[in-house]
Amino acid sequence: MRAGHRRDRMPQPGHPQDDAAVEFRGVSRRFRLHHETRTSFQDWFIALVRPRGKAEEFWALRDVSFVVRRGEALGIVGRNGAGKSTLLKLVSRVLEPTSGDVLIHGRTHAMLELGAGFHPELSGRDNVYLNGSIYGFSRRQMGERFDRIVQFAELERFIDTPVKHYSSGMFMRLGFAIAVHMDPEILVVDEVLAVGDAAFQRKGYEALMDLRARGTTVLFVSHSVEQIREFCDRAILLQEGRIVDSGPAAEVVDHYLRTMQEQAGEIAILRVRAIDRSGLPLDAVASGADLGLEVLLRVPPGGSTGDLALGLDLHDRAGTHLFGSTAQLPADLPAFDDLDPGTRRVRSVVRGLPLAGGTLTIAATLQRGALGTTEPLDRQETQVDVVGRWTGRERGILRLDHDWEWETEADPSATGPHLEHR
Amino acid sequence: MASQALELVQYRSLIRNLVAKDLKVRYKNSALGFLWSLLNPLLMMVVFTFVFTQLLNQHIAAFPVFVLTALLPWNWTATAVTAGTASLVDNAPLINKVYFPRILLPMSVVLSTMVNYVLALPALFLMMAIFGRPFTPWIVEIPLIVLIQAIFVTAVVLILAPLNVYFRDTTVLVEVGLLAWFFMTPIFYPVEAVVPHLAAWMYRLNPMAAIVEDYRVILYNGAVPDPLFTGRTGATALVLLAIGWLVFTRLSRNLGENL
Repeated sequence: MRAGHRRDRMPQPGHPQDDAAVEFRGVSRRFRLHHETRTSFQDWFIALVRPRGKAEEFWALRDVSFVVRRGEALGIVGRNGAGKSTLLKLVSRVLEPTSGDVLIHGRTHAMLELGAGFHPELSGRDNVYLNGSIYGFSRRQMGERFDRIVQFAELERFIDTPVKHYSSGMFMRLGFAIAVHMDPEILVVDEVLAVGDAAFQRKGYEALMDLRARGTTVLFVSHSVEQIREFCDRAILLQEGRIVDSGPAAEVVDHYLRTMQEQAGEIAILRVRAIDRSGLPLDAVASGADLGLEVLLRVPPGGSTGDLALGLDLHDRAGTHLFGSTAQLPADLPAFDDLDPGTRRVRSVVRGLPLAGGTLTIAATLQRGALGTTEPLDRQETQVDVVGRWTGRERGILRLDHDWEWETEADPSATGPHLEHR
Repeated sequence: MASQALELVQYRSLIRNLVAKDLKVRYKNSALGFLWSLLNPLLMMVVFTFVFTQLLNQHIAAFPVFVLTALLPWNWTATAVTAGTASLVDNAPLINKVYFPRILLPMSVVLSTMVNYVLALPALFLMMAIFGRPFTPWIVEIPLIVLIQAIFVTAVVLILAPLNVYFRDTTVLVEVGLLAWFFMTPIFYPVEAVVPHLAAWMYRLNPMAAIVEDYRVILYNGAVPDPLFTGRTGATALVLLAIGWLVFTRLSRNLGENL
């Protein structure tokens, strides 16, 4: 059978899964690794004179078969280089399979990179139409969606500005807004939820939930396994191009985390979250209250945390760096979990959080040696809502503990009202 | 092949938007905008008029018109071939992220440069009037010649664009090739100036020579081109287009891997 894509809406004869939206049948994809790529005639002529033997082959996917039913959300997990991206590119037809068949039943939209195809010199408006047509949408179809897209991207004021003047956040927001308004039957999502500020990320996630609720089939890749656990019905685990597990998302994610843990030598952040005094997870914290932060680390057997530095950084929704602190970890953090001796816990408390309100992004960064001098080993983020009680007389992003005090005229040392900090 | 053609119809708004993008970007940041399409040939004309009527001694009547009838279509071919060759490599990020018929990238380059050429034609007509060249009804045949040229240029670009993906030197070779091609096309000289037994070969091997000659017969001579001659050129262009299509479909299957 010839390898290739088929995009028929008719059920395959002799095939029981009529409700399949995406089907892989024994799909393999090979890449040729040219160690010196012959992209010039000079190299080509040299190669004629001095043959270097066959190019090394690399199989990104081997004999992969699976079915995604209509309306289902499939998560794809696996380490870097396991074949996740290749798989998504096959679904979105950017790549063709080397052997096997990829069957797609329905209009597919791939969010592999937001804003791919934007032209910097054109306005946001022109780019919306241009981008739409790249995905096969007519001017009229885009016109119907235009207002909703602009509103979703929160770019009403800037839509006629050339996108070269956009911030990267604005650029991504527009790309994301276009993608979720294309009413795809099959949506391919690759790591695009880390767009913009925390508020927009939540909005984006909700938009995806919306699409899913309306019956869109979703193929989802994310570094956040928690998102996959939450968003997907089923998941597949890829290892070196093969499917090693498939089933309910939660089980496959657990399996994936276990295999990650077994791969010794790598220290990583398992989770970062906000907690209250008793150690329970928090979604929201009151302004002025204590905020606990908990970081779980995975340390391979026999591993030491002695040379590690853990940084915690707080950003507000506009991306302002509010505060950061780094701790040099002691070598022998006690194990946190009896079942898994490799898990360590680090806690930090911010006393009397002096923030006015809004979404707070907490980033934990793990590094060897001093922070900022080497590539981080791992980094994870979480969000917490700070709930402020506004009196109507206060402004700003901080909420400082303050008092007003007046002196009467009888006191000669007073020059007027002043703030007294406690 | 039929499904490919159907897909092109489905993506027709992309062709239109890519062409519109090319034109908008070209005239962005210039005060006169698309007027440059008209002004450019007029300014060239001023230069030619000065050089060829005042500086050099030559005997061709209305020489600026003589040159421009051939130079404007040549410029279309040259810009289309240059930009078309680079069209796939230039859009590598897009090709790696989104599926759409890749053939639209080189095709849209040919179309946007064609629009530019057509916008310049009024300037040529103005010069014809100034130099007193005849306007004959044969001018209605111009769209046909434009079509033949568009088919021919598309064929060339369909072969060069994917080739450039595998051998990036193609861009440099195309530059040199265009210079040689320019001198082997009767633009600044009449075809009568070519050694007689080679003139026929020039037409056979270089469709641009035949296309340029057709424009010149209609616009400069005010005559009708030999239908057989035009027909042969058109047939050659169509055969080349079929070859270009095959080459493109074959070479572009694994673009994503090589960009």
